[in-house]
Amino acid sequence: MSIKYKTLSELKELLEKKDISSFELVEETFKNISSSKTNSFITLNEEVALTKAKEFDQGECEGDLAGLPIAQKDLFCTKNLRTTCGSRILENFIPPYNATVVENLSKAGSICVGKTNMDEFAMGSSNETSYFGAVKNPWDLERVPGGSSGGSAAAVAEGLVCAATGTDTGGSIRQPAALCGITGIKPTYGRASRWGMIAFASSLDQAGAFARNAEDCALLLNHICSHDEKDSTSLSNDKENYLENINNDLKGKKIGIVKEFDISNLSKEVQDSFEQSKKIFESLGANFVEVSMPNIKLSVPTYYVVAPAECSSNLSRFDGVKYGYRAENVNDLEDLYIKSRSEGFGDEVKRRILIGTYVLSAGFYDAYYKKAQQSRRMIKNDFVKAFSEVDVIMSPSSPSSAFKIGSKTEDPIEMYLEDLFTISSNLAGVPAMSIPHGFSKNLPIGLQLIGNYLEESEILNFAHQYQKNTDWHIRNPDSGDNS
Amino acid sequence: MDNKTVETISYLARLKLDKDKKDKITKDLENIINFVDELQDINTDDVTPLANPLEKTAPKRKDFVNSKDRKEVFLENSPQSDQDYFIVPKVVE
Repeated sequence: MSIKYKTLSELKELLEKKDISSFELVEETFKNISSSKTNSFITLNEEVALTKAKEFDQGECEGDLAGLPIAQKDLFCTKNLRTTCGSRILENFIPPYNATVVENLSKAGSICVGKTNMDEFAMGSSNETSYFGAVKNPWDLERVPGGSSGGSAAAVAEGLVCAATGTDTGGSIRQPAALCGITGIKPTYGRASRWGMIAFASSLDQAGAFARNAEDCALLLNHICSHDEKDSTSLSNDKENYLENINNDLKGKKIGIVKEFDISNLSKEVQDSFEQSKKIFESLGANFVEVSMPNIKLSVPTYYVVAPAECSSNLSRFDGVKYGYRAENVNDLEDLYIKSRSEGFGDEVKRRILIGTYVLSAGFYDAYYKKAQQSRRMIKNDFVKAFSEVDVIMSPSSPSSAFKIGSKTEDPIEMYLEDLFTISSNLAGVPAMSIPHGFSKNLPIGLQLIGNYLEESEILNFAHQYQKNTDWHIRNPDSGDNS
Repeated sequence: MDNKTVETISYLARLKLDKDKKDKITKDLENIINFVDELQDINTDDVTPLANPLEKTAPKRKDFVNSKDRKEVFLENSPQSDQDYFIVPKVVE
């Protein structure tokens, strides 16, 4: 039986009916990974995964996700399993503990088959900044899968695993989900614990999930999200059962279209898909309302002050002393710091550390960092006002479909604009997701649904209702119907 | 953004740039700063800076020790350590 492209729920049912054993499932997963050409994984966890699968088959493990193989983005610390964050500086780092998200998913019985490739320290939108090589898009191996969670997105899109974790600081779940034709969700900031997630920009980072549909994402979020005392920004609000809240009627629901998101200069296929999706939601009873968010145009420049500033501070911990890469032949302690960091970090990470150091330096702090924090408040206020009028906001997930590997690496700003539609949700901290909704040049494109604070169920419900009435999410790189 | 500024911030960040990449990085940084300079034109009078989207302050908890001493485990991850210490090049002559 082929397990490729099966959803999490389908595999769960097969396991429950004992049509397949967990051991067979995990063994087949590794077989598929070994023949894959996408470079989605950095480290495999074969021995442990097979042992866990045997335990499940012997009835020794229970839980909502018991016996199901999933992949973890290589940014989550995994106990006794190498965690590189896509960087040379952590090439041999083996964490002595699990991230809370990893622990939660493990408690639910899932089996981690390996760590997925990613842009170095999650800095990138194409997965080309990884020290372990670029990930290739399973729909076209000459193209990028998006980033930074490119390995997770590609692994799910290729059918290697039915689910994977990701993190989203400016679009790092939604943009690769869009470019790989799968479903990905980033919950409200603070809804999932950041403990054990290697920090990039702490006020923006949030864990989330990739799967083949919204229903599976709901099931995953039930376990990914939790209150955690070990993360001081973790929300203590009661958690919902997302899976139980995705079967609601859309009649009378209001969808906001952002006036300032100009899509008229995007490709005709991106525009046509957007119009078609609007019609589908209309047929399900939803209404469209134009909302004005005048400050949303400031999102990308605001982000490229706030995120590098936090990155320069967070990444100062990598000094070659306590863990990670240490340079050889050094003269003194300072030389050890400089050489270890210079040899350990790649170019994009260095660029962002330098920008962050610059905007935080004496004399520039007010002009850049304080100013960006002020415009961040203005952006947040736009969201608060918009959500007083509408239930969700809808936009394309990214400006175009997957681009060729190497085509945007020379100009950082061109790469930064990949996240034009996604970045504002991180600045405001609201939940957002991407679902497949068409093709452009035979490559998948995504639709973004943004929800109000803690309204993950609302966007998941919209996505699930959409997917009950469309088949974009069922298509895959082998199905041959990508137009 | 000139070479001297880049040298200063590189030192502050304890990074040394490869000679052949210095010009490209300087140019990139200049472009990025020009790009974010758009923020200078907006009126932010009376706008309170937003550092965290939820504006939550860190919650207080009871002050008791709840973590185990795992010194050995963490020292093991160091490139160079002995039983009690991280080892670095000599700091004091």
